[in-house]
Amino acid sequence: MSDVIEEIEREIQSSPVMVYMKGTPSFPMCGFSAATVEVLREIGVPFKSVDVLAEPEKRDAIKAYTNWPTIPQVFVGGKFIGGCDIVREMHAKGELAPLVRAAAKS
Amino acid sequence: MVSTTEIRQCVEAALPGARVLVADTTGAGDHFELQVSADAFKGKGLVEQHQLVYGALASLMPRIHALSLRTQVPEERAK
Repeated sequence: MSDVIEEIEREIQSSPVMVYMKGTPSFPMCGFSAATVEVLREIGVPFKSVDVLAEPEKRDAIKAYTNWPTIPQVFVGGKFIGGCDIVREMHAKGELAPLVRAAAKS
Repeated sequence: MVSTTEIRQCVEAALPGARVLVADTTGAGDHFELQVSADAFKGKGLVEQHQLVYGALASLMPRIHALSLRTQVPEERAK
């Protein structure tokens, strides 16, 4: 498990926005993952993603790492910001775009 | 299969005084929309607020397929 956690810690630092999701941005396998990708595309920020269905050990590890029981999970600037509901809520309030743009610059 | 009553009771037990609105969105007992308003959320970020609710539902989560969650701090009552 610790190897996977180390890999996760590298991944979340490797891109300003990192999404752990079911499926891929082109072929999301879950409505919540699809909605999260949709919001990020609307903001127009590049992001990386990991398909937890293809990496089952990472699916368990990420839930333990964040103490968060559901997928998708979104990291901005290496920090966990939440799942689909929070991403949608922050976007609706206009709070998400400034956050990801600031992370993309630094 | 989980009932809306089970969900409400779990949240109310963990967050005394919480206002809980829960809807079974498909009628199949595994897709839910949940709104929780609680004093315990005061001063906490959204991640921590959702973690409190997920923690309250930990025993039910394996049987829940999809949960849409919205948390709020209760509005201050006018004095």
